Amino acid sequence: MIKVKLFGLLRLDSGIKEIELEAGAVKDIYTELEKASDILSAKKLDACVVLVNGKSANKNTRLSDGDEVSFLSPVAGG
Amino acid sequence: MGKDIGAKIHGTYIFYGKIKSLFIEQILLYRYNGKKAVDYMKSKYSGYMGKLVEIDLGAETVREYPWSDKERELYLGGKIMAARILCDHLTGNEKAFSEENWLVIATGPLTGTGAPSSARFNISAISPQTGILASSNCGGSFGFHLKKAGYDALIIKGRCKGRKWLEINDDEFIFHDAEALWGTKTGECHEKLAELCGKKNFGRLCIGPAGENLVKYASVISDERAAGRTGMGAVLGWKGLKAITVSGSRSVEVYDREKTAAYIKKWVAYLKEHPLTGSQLPRLGTAGLVSSMQSHSILATRNYSAGQFEDFDSVSGETLAESYNVNNSGCLGCTIRCRRNVKVDGKVVKGPELETLVLFGSNLGNSDMQSVLDLNYLADELGLDTISCANTIAWAMEASAKGIWNCGLEFGKPDGLASLLDDIAHRRGIGDELAEGSKRLSEKYGGTDFAIHSKGLELAAYEPRRAVGQGLGYAIANRGGCHINGGYAVIAEGLGLNADPQTPKAKADLTMMMQNLMEAISASGQCIFTSYAFFPKALLANPNGILTKCVNSLLPHLGWGIRIMNRFPRMLAVNLPIIHHTAILKYAVGMKMDLGRYLEIGERGYNMERLINTRFGISAENDKLPKRLTDVPQDPDDPSTRVPLEVMKRTYYKARGWDENGIPTEKTLRRLKIK
Repeated sequence: MIKVKLFGLLRLDSGIKEIELEAGAVKDIYTELEKASDILSAKKLDACVVLVNGKSANKNTRLSDGDEVSFLSPVAGG
Repeated sequence: MGKDIGAKIHGTYIFYGKIKSLFIEQILLYRYNGKKAVDYMKSKYSGYMGKLVEIDLGAETVREYPWSDKERELYLGGKIMAARILCDHLTGNEKAFSEENWLVIATGPLTGTGAPSSARFNISAISPQTGILASSNCGGSFGFHLKKAGYDALIIKGRCKGRKWLEINDDEFIFHDAEALWGTKTGECHEKLAELCGKKNFGRLCIGPAGENLVKYASVISDERAAGRTGMGAVLGWKGLKAITVSGSRSVEVYDREKTAAYIKKWVAYLKEHPLTGSQLPRLGTAGLVSSMQSHSILATRNYSAGQFEDFDSVSGETLAESYNVNNSGCLGCTIRCRRNVKVDGKVVKGPELETLVLFGSNLGNSDMQSVLDLNYLADELGLDTISCANTIAWAMEASAKGIWNCGLEFGKPDGLASLLDDIAHRRGIGDELAEGSKRLSEKYGGTDFAIHSKGLELAAYEPRRAVGQGLGYAIANRGGCHINGGYAVIAEGLGLNADPQTPKAKADLTMMMQNLMEAISASGQCIFTSYAFFPKALLANPNGILTKCVNSLLPHLGWGIRIMNRFPRMLAVNLPIIHHTAILKYAVGMKMDLGRYLEIGERGYNMERLINTRFGISAENDKLPKRLTDVPQDPDDPSTRVPLEVMKRTYYKARGWDENGIPTEKTLRRLKIK
């Protein structure tokens, strides 16, 4: 299983904090997230910073069982 | 020096009404030989009220301080105006707790004009924490009311005979006995001031017990907003001035009402449309950065020993929004409305900013969000700067773990911290020692390598070993370890843009440009959060897009280009559509302004502050960071994860036109018309 975590406005808008699913690559998660919420469109997910196990990743990054994938809305300001 | 222009009537000082201006003119002729008094009369520029006053607390007298339109053009207002005033006064021998330490409360020309996020005021003086020039900026409504009373700035000199609070109503200055207010927390003091003044619509600021007891990092609180940094509350405490209230019947005039209103409308629409100022900050506040900082390994954790906290989501902006936030609000006239409101003991109060959330959270190994909310509220009530307070506690926790100072504090154990804050503010037990800050504690007990400060001011929440430009900023910032005064390069190193955070390339030049820009924004009276909209939506909304990736890749190679713009700002004689700050000065103030002039004003301010600091002995050897950040890689397997400070400093000094010892050269000071 892959643990997927959402952060930033993506999380507030979708109301989804964390889900677990099966996926072989990051792009597979897109499909599942789009099913989970209308808010989670491919366009919005494309605009996110994606991390796999805390390291920078992209749509084509391969996943293994137990990986943790984070989607972060672009942010700034402090 | 001029004569007093007030008369004492039962402890009240009232200006001489209609004959006042003639009298002032006569006095000012004495003040500055060779200058015409007419230079100091009402400004030709709108926005300004045209009057600065000196208040002598000991003599309880008030008089006008001369300030010309030429000076308005050179220094705008706010912190740069204060720096000029203090540059003319300070010799380098003044101590923070002395009658010679003038405290300047200054507004900018845009304060009260209706320009976005322009309800700011600045407090400057010599800091008891650092011993050098301090500046601390605050929102709320005090600045607006100060201008309605007719003043661009208050210059507070001397020391009260006894404990006082000052009431300003237009031209009337009343010194009241403050015995009944002394000892009150800031919230209670605010309420009592409203009762004592009998007003609803007025400005007020006060200190809490921490300021009264000269805690080195005591803040000044105004409408729950804080002039938090650099210990300005302790300066007021030493002066015996508990509070100031201000109300007025005047209005702030703008130069071209129609164009100003139209431009503000356009600017507000832009801010609302922008992903940061229109969505991110209103909905998540500054706290929204926690998760991003975690992902970039720049989240200060356990006294900056790491950049990631395993339980970060417990203290994230998202968790704050989902489970604790009641609503959001803003300072007077602000469209961004970044303030979180949360519940503490059933009462709705101001929630924590990012810095507080991280420094009372991950940096103490604390994952209890409610404890952070409680400590944030209590710190404001006591009048403590949350950044320095939390950092000092973090140092004490590590010192205790290492057996250097057995104070009983432990990472991850927030229980008891509330009573500790009370002890700090009242200087009881170990609180008395913690009230001195991490620099002095580490010099006494050891552990300077992990005392996370620069020039005595504790650092903000960004762990800089994975954002080295921010590390440079902390080290060279005029007021000490401040993220904002340090240029906030981290916005290009992961928070916003994502240029290589480990390379020193272009960081010095970028830092200088950002510092100059933010210096000018602050001087004009605006909140620097308006500057986040400088980064075009197209870049920020799509971090994976080709354009953004190109900018990220190219930025480290563009140092030379930024250097040229920094050195010759007048080349930028334009008003860019994404930098609204310059055009609004034309429309609201009637001042000739473009980006180049604006940057030059910021550069002038920054150099003047540095000049003052050099009189107090500041040079290159003081522009430093604790060894933990420069010598110990965050990742033991990656030697690049530390701050390569010396190489960036050398570039920065050259870019600034300072000598290798970090001193502004005569040529630079003359070029900027400082001398």
